[in-house]
Parts: sequence; structure tokens; C-alpha cells
Amino acid sequence: MKSHRVVVPAIVALSLLAGCGGGEQVSTDPNAKVTLTFTAYGGAGQQAMIDSYQKPYTAAHPNVTFVNTSPPDVSQVKAQVMSKSVKWDLVSVAPGVATQNCDKLFEPVDTTGIDPANLVEGTLGKCYVGNFINANPIAYRTEAFPDPAKAPKTVQDFFDLQKFPGQRGILSNIQNGILEFPLLADGVAPKDMYPLDVDRSLKKLDTIRDKTTFAPNVGALQQAVGAKQVDIFILPDSRLVPLMNDGTDITVVWDVTVAAMNGFAIPKGSPHAAAAKEFLKTLCGPEQVAGISEALGTQPVNKAAKPTLSANAQKVQAFGPANKGEVLMQDIDWYAQNFDGASAKLTNWLVG
Amino acid sequence: MNFRLLYFRTMVLRKQWLLLLPALALLAAVLLVPLGRSVLQSFGSPDWTLDHFRALFTDGVTLTVLARTALTALAVTAIAFLLGYPYAYLMTRVGPRMRGILLVVVLVPFWTSVMARNFAWIIILQRGGPVNSFFKLFGLDVVLYESVGGVTVAMSQVLLPFMVLPLFSALGGIDRKLLLAARGLGSHPVVAFWKIYWPLSRGGVVSGMILVFTLSLGFYVTPALVGSPKQSLVAQLLGQRTTQLLDFQGASALGLVVLVVTLVLVAWANRVGGTISAIGTVAAAPAAKDKP
Repeated sequence: MKSHRVVVPAIVALSLLAGCGGGEQVSTDPNAKVTLTFTAYGGAGQQAMIDSYQKPYTAAHPNVTFVNTSPPDVSQVKAQVMSKSVKWDLVSVAPGVATQNCDKLFEPVDTTGIDPANLVEGTLGKCYVGNFINANPIAYRTEAFPDPAKAPKTVQDFFDLQKFPGQRGILSNIQNGILEFPLLADGVAPKDMYPLDVDRSLKKLDTIRDKTTFAPNVGALQQAVGAKQVDIFILPDSRLVPLMNDGTDITVVWDVTVAAMNGFAIPKGSPHAAAAKEFLKTLCGPEQVAGISEALGTQPVNKAAKPTLSANAQKVQAFGPANKGEVLMQDIDWYAQNFDGASAKLTNWLVG
Repeated sequence: MNFRLLYFRTMVLRKQWLLLLPALALLAAVLLVPLGRSVLQSFGSPDWTLDHFRALFTDGVTLTVLARTALTALAVTAIAFLLGYPYAYLMTRVGPRMRGILLVVVLVPFWTSVMARNFAWIIILQRGGPVNSFFKLFGLDVVLYESVGGVTVAMSQVLLPFMVLPLFSALGGIDRKLLLAARGLGSHPVVAFWKIYWPLSRGGVVSGMILVFTLSLGFYVTPALVGSPKQSLVAQLLGQRTTQLLDFQGASALGLVVLVVTLVLVAWANRVGGTISAIGTVAAAPAAKDKP
């Protein structure tokens, strides 16, 4: 039985190695050198955040530097928190999810010193700081409905297959209005949207299901629009702008536009939580907000921000003069309380 | 056999067993431990419950998706077999140079990035793509992109090597003199094939089918890219449970069910015919084949 004496401890040791990590010293000195791990969706969005958040912050606080990673899966946060080895310090997250898991998966944030006067409602949460707003207007490829007199003009038109045939494109992601638009089309006024009737919404979605491409992520729907796979669609502003920049002729239907706050949060147990909290306070400053809007075409959370927008970004400016309709902001508190139930219902409806 | 020899043999065997140590340690760390934790999780550890399993069978969705996944995997296996068997047969009948070329052709998918292959399939299958245009010649507007049909076609191509290689290994090992003998004794070629060649090739057929079927059950990238959330397969459902709903316990339960189903199927196939160990002979097979 000699060999077992070697084998068993070896296996145990290796297994332990696999399960361990972290254990970093937590420093309380505000001037100590820290490197914050910043997790967002990669691509142009993250580059804009590096330029507008990280570089100015490091210039002002030379002891704070950043490493960037992606994608910001909440399941990763959960796994890190569960295994007590938190690697991320800042993570892009839907405010509803941050609020729902406040103090469980995410650290409460510190908002002292932030002037809320110019901030859009919902920018400051208990466990997140909002950094930009994605507006998700209904839009169509202009060549699919070339005659403006016969083109879709309302949310109802999106759901009217008789008058406006053509392939629909919707993101299956709950943050992009998949549950709100059907109710708007069904006659629910924006102010009466919440508490949201998920069953009624799915019933309305049933009416266009066969003519709708449900894309699992924004990249897939953006690709589908560019490749003329869908005619009329609901895509966020930050994806409409690159499509238009690439030469796709897009007309936005300014009726009701569903918009959602995006935010950043700190995973619970982050070894650099103190430094991360200080950094989060800067995300909704006017220069930072303007920088992100200019780079991505998203809507600012700070009304004092004065971004210089490109011509295409102006076309999707939900809070600007282009929008002749109204904006419905997703209710963060409703989603914080109902995210799991609504997601499960939606998922079950989709895959069924 | 004297006692000393027996002792010596046992020691050698024991020492040989040590050769497994690095692989076992690695498996323990990266497979067994996480898998064990996942199993514990599915039973709700530390508050033991069967609710997560009960939910799978009562949510009205999981069973649909499991059935859809099984049917898709069956279709992929059938297509891969129908394409792979004649191909592997041809590989045993041509000269070494041609065999090399055929082998490279079948391995090209292995050497191509998964993403590149799947995006190529999107372009081929989407509205206005070659497949859609072809069907339009007959007045049919068929769009395979975002359908289980499209996923089946793409997966069949991706998984074809896993059918061809074990088949090639099995077919190459069949002594063709047996067929000559059958013909010499007056057998019709079809009967000779059915009574002699086919039974001898069955080990390879079962190996290939097990490989393709089990890989199909867990396929993620192709259904996620070429398919649609409207027609999810089980891997997409697992992805949604973990990344969107953060339901690790429910996902563990679903994963465990898929794993058990797969193991049962493999065990059953192993008994029915051939053996999965035929896969292991793939690497050694081509060298043995060049006998005159």
C-alpha cells in the first residue's frame, strides 16, 4: 500500500491548489498602490471606458491603475463570491441585478460627495453607480419600408404583421425592452407599465413569434440587421450608430422608446473595495459621461454633460431633439424584485 | 509460478500504476472535484432536497428541450453515419496517397477555428444565402439559419471526423479475403457484405455513433450561433440557467441528468455491439493497413 501514501496526498494537494487563491492583504492606506480589475463587455465600449474613466482617474490618482477583462457575467461574480476568491473589483452590471443581489453578491457603494442635482433618477443605487443609459428605440432598415407614408410609425405597427410584413428582430435580453414593447402595443400607458404583467406581454409576443428573430445578444442582432436578415428591430442606440456608420440606412421610429440604465458594481469581498468605491464616484461626472456618449452614442446619466455627438449619434439621441416621442425608463426596483421570475417566464416562453 | 515471481509481478503492476498518477491527479483537480461539487449542489447541499430535479420535470420546458436535443443528436448521428460509412470504406480501398488526401479532407474541420466554421454556416444558411437561394429555385422560402434544421446540418459537418475515424479504423482491419471466400462459395456481393463485412464493421459503427451522439448532446457553440433561442438545445438552456438566472443548483441538476442519460446510453451501446475501445485503435490503425 506504499503507493497510496503518495497518491492520496498528491491528489488532495492538487485539488486544494485548484480551489484556492486570493488571500491578498487588504490595505487601508488611501495612497497605497492598487490595481483594480475592471470587467466590462470588451470592444469599443470598454475602450471608451478606458479612455473616459480609467486614464483620467490614473492621471489624478497615480497610485491607482487598472487591468481590463471581459465579459462581465454575473454568474462569474457569483462563482467568485461563493468560492471566496474575488478577482474582480469593478463589474458592469444591470442595476436591477445589482440591487437584487445587494450585499449578497455586491458591495454597498459610497455615494457621499456626488451631487445628485443633474443626475437622471436611478443613477445612484445602494449597490451600483449608473454610468450610461441605453435607449432601445424601434427602428427599421429604410430600404425595407422605402415609402415614408407606408412605413411603421408606432409601437403598434411593430406588432402589426398585416400592415407591415417583414422579419422582426428582438433581443431576448430582458434589459432591452422585450417585455415592455408588447404591453405598449397592447395599450398599456408608459406610466402604468409597472408592475409589469409578464403573462400579458408574452401573449402579445405570441402574435409575432413566427416572424421574429430572437437574438441572444446585441452582437447577433447587429449582425442580422447588417446582413439584412431582419427588417424592423429593437436595438440599443450604441449598436445603431456603428450600423449607420457602416452604411446601413436606418430610420428610427420615435414613438415610445424603452431605455435602461447601465451601472457598475463591486463584487462582494473585493480585496480593493475601498479604492473601487472611490473610483465609482467619478463614473457619473459630466466629462466622463460626455466621453462615453461621444464614443458610443449612448444617452447620458448626467444632464450637465455636453457631448459633441456625430451626425449618426444625433439620430438616435433619445433625450435630444431627434426624439419626437417619449422615453420609458425601465423600473430598476421592479426588476430588482422580479428579475428571476420574469426571466424564468421569458426563457420558458422562448425555448418552449 | 513461484511466490517470488508473483511478488515481482505485483510490484511491477503497482509501479506501472504510478504512470497514471499525473493524469489522475489532473483529472481529480479539474474534473472530479468540480463535478462532485456540482453533484452536491444539484441536491441542494447543504440543505438536502430533490426540488431542483422535480423542477426539471415539472417546468414544462426542460423535457421539451431534452427531447429536442435527443432528436437533434439522433439526426446528426444518422447523417454522419450515412456520409461517413461510404467515405471510410473508400478510404480503405484507395492507395496510400489518396488515403492521405481523404484523411486530410476529413480533418480540415478539426484544424479550422470553431468560430470561423460556425460563422461560415450562418452565411450559407441565412436569408439570401446560397441554401435559401437554391430552395427559391423551386419556389420554396426555406431559411435554415436559426432553426434546428440548420443546427443539425452544421453539427453533422463539425462532427463528421468523429464518425469517419473510428469507422476507418474498424473497416481497415477487416480481412477482405473473407469476402473473396464468400464470393467463391457462391454468395451474392450484397449478401456477402451483409453477412460478413457489416458484422465485422459494427464495432466501428457503434464507436462512431457513441462519439457523435454524446458530443451532439452537449454541443453549445453551434446551436448558440446557428440556432435560435426559440429552439434551444440543452446546452443553451444550461447557459441561460447559469449566466442569466444564476440558478447554479438547477443547472447542476440539469447537467447531472444529461450526464446520467449519456452514460446510460454509452453503457447500453457498449453492450449492444462493439466496444468504445475501438476508438483507441484509430491512431494505430493506418500503419497496419498498408499490407498488400
